[in-house]
Amino acid sequence: MRHPWRTSIAALALLALPFLGSGARAGLPEALSETVLPGHAAFTAATAALNEAARADCRPETLRPSWNAAFDAWMGISHLRLGPAETDGRALAIAFWPDPKGSGARTQARLLEAADPALLEPERFAEVSVAARGLFALERLLYDPALASEPACALTRATAADLARMAVELETDWRESFAPLMLSAGAPGNDRFLTEAEARQALFTQLMTGLEFTADQRLGRPLGTFDRPRPERAEARLSGRSQRNVELSLAALERLALALAPDSPRTREGFERARSQAAALDDPRFEGAADPSRRLRIEILQQRLHALRDQLAAEVGGALGVSVGFNAADGD
Amino acid sequence: MKSRLLALAATAPCALLPLPALAVERAEVVETYADIAEATYGDSLATARDLQMAVKALVAQPSEQTLAAARTAWIAARVPYQQSEAFRFGNPIVDDWEGKVNAWPLDEGLIDYVDPTHGGATEENDLATLNVIATPTFTLSGTEVDATEITPALISGTLHEADGIEANVASGYHAIEFLLWGQDLNGTEAGAGNRPFTDYASGGACTGGNCDRRGAYLLAATDLLVSDLEYMVAQWSEGGAAREAVSADPAAGLQAMLTGMGSLSYGEQAGERMKLGLMLNDPEEEHDCFSDNTHNSHYYDGLGIRNVYLGRYERVDGSRVEGPSLSDLVAEADTGLDEVLRGQLDTTLERLDALRTAAAEGMAYDQMLAPGNKRGEELIMGAVDALVTQTASIERATTALGLAKIEFEGSDSLDDPNAVFQ
Repeated sequence: MRHPWRTSIAALALLALPFLGSGARAGLPEALSETVLPGHAAFTAATAALNEAARADCRPETLRPSWNAAFDAWMGISHLRLGPAETDGRALAIAFWPDPKGSGARTQARLLEAADPALLEPERFAEVSVAARGLFALERLLYDPALASEPACALTRATAADLARMAVELETDWRESFAPLMLSAGAPGNDRFLTEAEARQALFTQLMTGLEFTADQRLGRPLGTFDRPRPERAEARLSGRSQRNVELSLAALERLALALAPDSPRTREGFERARSQAAALDDPRFEGAADPSRRLRIEILQQRLHALRDQLAAEVGGALGVSVGFNAADGD
Repeated sequence: MKSRLLALAATAPCALLPLPALAVERAEVVETYADIAEATYGDSLATARDLQMAVKALVAQPSEQTLAAARTAWIAARVPYQQSEAFRFGNPIVDDWEGKVNAWPLDEGLIDYVDPTHGGATEENDLATLNVIATPTFTLSGTEVDATEITPALISGTLHEADGIEANVASGYHAIEFLLWGQDLNGTEAGAGNRPFTDYASGGACTGGNCDRRGAYLLAATDLLVSDLEYMVAQWSEGGAAREAVSADPAAGLQAMLTGMGSLSYGEQAGERMKLGLMLNDPEEEHDCFSDNTHNSHYYDGLGIRNVYLGRYERVDGSRVEGPSLSDLVAEADTGLDEVLRGQLDTTLERLDALRTAAAEGMAYDQMLAPGNKRGEELIMGAVDALVTQTASIERATTALGLAKIEFEGSDSLDDPNAVFQ
């Protein structure tokens, strides 16, 4: 299912050129050229390397480093949930988490049981439930003793190939279509972004929603409540990346915020403090959520991120002249 | 009358001039909104009382007919309630309460027997197979629970969201739906839940076990739904807190209206309820999964969004509640945008209606979710795209009315970043 914005792209890409460097859109071109586009290029490269590695040798222990590199690259762009990331449900298929009903593991178990090579052909596999694809599907194959066995090799390869394909499509759409569309905001024929403010607001909304996701999901899910902590719900717990993902997401959000509004001393300081607090947790899987003394440090980091959110709304939002728009995380 | 008002407004050369005296008043628009909310919840309550009567008849005299009548009453009750969902986001009084009546999806094994291959304990929920109907006493989070008598208080106070897990839905429309239809074991094939009426029969005719407790649960859950809706009607009546909250500051009221429209359109309906289910190919990921009534639920959600914009609600008895509308206000600010948004709201309803047509012709919503069902995918994504498109215009309407809330420095947490930790 393609979005209408794909159709008039070529013309708009040309229109966009004369606008480059215009002060009125301060921040937007920088955010795209310094963070969004390089972030996607890095993700394409990392998933291509993972795919190559899987083809050469699909044993979990040899694949883990390239899988981790791909996940690191994803953390640089995971907060961008608009346009190309929504097409075909790509962001969901690349990183389906949380999965409270365990849909991913169930579907993967069925695929392994079926042992049908036809289901693993690229075209068929692209139709498989988003819960059973992408980085978290690979995490189970590489780290879950229940799945990381020899017969899983074919599924590992199919999943890695599918991930690399999505990364290429995602990057291509951003580079050739969506970034030019944002840069030509307000130009005749651009009915997605009628004004430059709309394009700025779109990226600002991703920034704010990304920060909320890290605070409320990546930290909030394992925290649960004081009486009922849920460390088993931490993101990427199998591979022990829970804390690392928080640190990398904060770094990526900081880059975006400062590209959008470079003159933001409070934002800069707020991110620095949050990152050093996150690094000091020394709790890769957030097991400390269930330990009253260590739990407090995770809670303090969460409060720090909520305060940072207010700072961003004022400083970055103020500089851009926009507020948070509707986003995919609305609803429950 | 209305067209003359709009014509006058259109002649005002620019926004710097005072608005003509006859211009649409923001306070009146918000009043229409509160009136529609009161009527929509009022209809939800009236149809829930009909459901309550039908459920009493079913439990008193279980038969094919009384079960069918209760199911029909449930489907009718969904018509006004789904339209009320446009009031949910943007009004904290509604959003904080909503989980009692419309929580979804649920681990239904908490309530009653389930097929061992459909549902059961999950990694995250130990209570997914509790089956309280078969279990008069049990331990919950270390505490002994006496459920020998199934009451509304037991359901709302102890069972609902037990163990802090949202999937432990013990009350509301979907719990009742499960008790009337049972699990839909057909996957993405044709057919809804098929609970026999004998699940409520007495003595030797009882199927599924514990028929008396099942009947008690159904009655208590329906009583609870009625009292929860009574509460919400009161919130929107004259002097009610929800009405006061939007009336006290009409600008905040307008913001609540647009927030409700946009959040339901995009994050909730297009994303969580429609696209996600399609991407998971999971027949459980349909809003009314036991009754296969999802096509109607989606349609009335869309209609509720349009009601808010047009300031017009057609009641269950066919009468109308209407008044000065958000559409009138937006047209004053930007005629073109109002036209576009009205057109988009209509398009969304057409696309949602196409789901109803397909369901009437034999392709239920869960069948549309089947992997490889291209027609189903087109139907669902057609509606999703329309909802996403209208969201952009709703956002523009917020800007056109000068309601975009740009936050500026000056709050405690900003001036002293450590204030929040004290």
